Amino acid sequence: MNTSTINDAIRAAWQATGPDEDALHEMRREALEQFLRTGLPTTRQENWKYTNLSGLAERLADDLRGEPTAHPSQQKMLCIADAVQVTFVDGIYRPELSAADELPQGVQLHSLAALAERQPAQLRELYGRLAAFADSPMVALNSAFAGQGAVLEVADGVELARPVCISYRSGRSHIAAQTRLLVSLGARARATVVEHFCSTDSVFVNPVSELHCGPGARLDYCRLQDEHPETWHTALQCAALAENASLHTTQVDIGAALARNELRLNLNGRGAHVEAHGLFMADTARHVDSRIDVNHLAPDTSSRERYRGILAGRARGVFNGRIYVAQDAQKTVAELTNRNLLLNKRAEVNSKPELEIYADDVKCAHGSTTGQLDANSLFYLLSRGVDRNTARNMLITAFAAELLTDMRIPEIAARAQQALEALHTDGETGES
Amino acid sequence: MLLNIENLHASVGGTEIIKGLNLQINPGEVHAIMGPNGSGKSTLAQALAGKPGYEITAGAVSYKGENLLELEADERARAGIFLGFQYPVEIPGVSNVYLLKAALNARRKESGQDEIDSVEFMRLVREKAKLMQLDQAFLSRGVNEGFSGGEKKRNEIFQMAVLEPDLAILDETDSGLDIDALKVVANGVNAQRDGQRSFLLITHYQRLLDYIQPDFVHVLAGGRIVKSGNRDLALELEANGYDAVLAAAAG
Repeated sequence: MNTSTINDAIRAAWQATGPDEDALHEMRREALEQFLRTGLPTTRQENWKYTNLSGLAERLADDLRGEPTAHPSQQKMLCIADAVQVTFVDGIYRPELSAADELPQGVQLHSLAALAERQPAQLRELYGRLAAFADSPMVALNSAFAGQGAVLEVADGVELARPVCISYRSGRSHIAAQTRLLVSLGARARATVVEHFCSTDSVFVNPVSELHCGPGARLDYCRLQDEHPETWHTALQCAALAENASLHTTQVDIGAALARNELRLNLNGRGAHVEAHGLFMADTARHVDSRIDVNHLAPDTSSRERYRGILAGRARGVFNGRIYVAQDAQKTVAELTNRNLLLNKRAEVNSKPELEIYADDVKCAHGSTTGQLDANSLFYLLSRGVDRNTARNMLITAFAAELLTDMRIPEIAARAQQALEALHTDGETGES
Repeated sequence: MLLNIENLHASVGGTEIIKGLNLQINPGEVHAIMGPNGSGKSTLAQALAGKPGYEITAGAVSYKGENLLELEADERARAGIFLGFQYPVEIPGVSNVYLLKAALNARRKESGQDEIDSVEFMRLVREKAKLMQLDQAFLSRGVNEGFSGGEKKRNEIFQMAVLEPDLAILDETDSGLDIDALKVVANGVNAQRDGQRSFLLITHYQRLLDYIQPDFVHVLAGGRIVKSGNRDLALELEANGYDAVLAAAAG
């Protein structure tokens, strides 16, 4: 298909999906036009140099035309103890699989579509404030189609003890699930939000999340990407932190043919703090791209970014981490590290940590290492009688141990560990 | 016979280190191999444990009547061979107790036993840790992580005590130990001597043999055993030095 045929198909798909007039109609139309002008990102763009979406171009029009089904697969469910469950199937909110009404006072959890109908003004206040579609074709695509999603608002001073778990499941192949999550925590509010992407068919998933943390608010955000091995997953989360707000993010990328995740954090208020953890893995010929941008825009802000990648088979990993410190963000403390483990000679990773500092009184560090399993450690374990497979798994898990222990949701840590042990290492040694 | 090494030749990185070594160990015997630096002591230990990269170019090694050289390192361990490392590896992220349990269960499975009960395992581990004067807190820490040199060596003997091998090869377990730590290590080894278990002690110094009495002492030089004897040979080495003993052996 040439570009104009694809564009015609996308336009037709767009006209077929959304309601004609709703709160977001005008924005969605603009986003569509924006996307049709730019098309998908190409590897000629610096931000997409190592991540090639040409395979997505081939299927995009088909996926966008896909009809959602009523019957989600029951596989890959994640049962987080005591969680408030919200479920989307093929990108559509499913109230019968959700329990969004069991919430304490001061906490509102809406389906985006319902909010657009009932309180459009409230929705417009949050939607698109952090993720501007002019910046990125994938955001434009999401904005054009994302009539579905979840909106969580926690009022000032309210602590939501139960985690909110949003699961994105699939029921059929070749569908595009483009959802939007909007989270807004008031002053000193607290919440834990989990996004769980668990397609069981080959689909295209392109979610955008916007996380607003008010003064002194504390948000734990976990994203578990456990997609079908033929799914294409491109995700973006944008967060803004007011003064003394604190955000802890956990990114776990397990599945997908191609997964790209981007986290953009703005520390806007004095004393804001971010702890961002990422664990990404891939095997066979899969591709995983993890990217984080941290903008220190106010004094006395701090952030720590710890990312680990584990690549097996012929998999390719990409890590880009950038810490930006604005001129008046004095006393910023920031530390960015990325460590990668290659389990196969044919696996590869491109890691690029960057610092961009305009303030003169800061403490910032960054580092990146890539290595293989240590042959001496492996021999030590073997010499104790542990079989080779178990010994390798011990070392792989040990490599991720620091992140696994710090995970706020034990069920996610358990799933991550299980996935690490199930990586196809193809009998290649990958030992140094 | 537990272990029979005949005319063993072993190379590392294309360089022949072991050049025709013969050694027989019967159940219950304690053998000490002494030798100057570079004589091939550690190479012998690693080759017997099955370390990759140690190429056996000639000769035969049988263990319990089977061809040892056909077994992978982990298979050798499960068959009852234990290597106490000269330089134990630090493995952060794998706890001592987790490794020990996996190792013990692997060995039990091999001999057709069920996995060890958790309560029984912890009792066993605590008892052996106490014997080796290792703090309980060590158990949950990463393997050898942040251990001092002496603690690492005690940890090796502690692991041996839990795993109860049939043949323990202890590679310079005495090196870097002060006299108190040496006594603890020697006690740990002596506690394991039961008339059936065999030991191959590899050491540079006679000092260890003051605390662990060997049945046989062998002098390794140039990749071969050039002289064998009883404990007196170790004392002779101590008194006269390797050069004199080697010269006499050659002469």
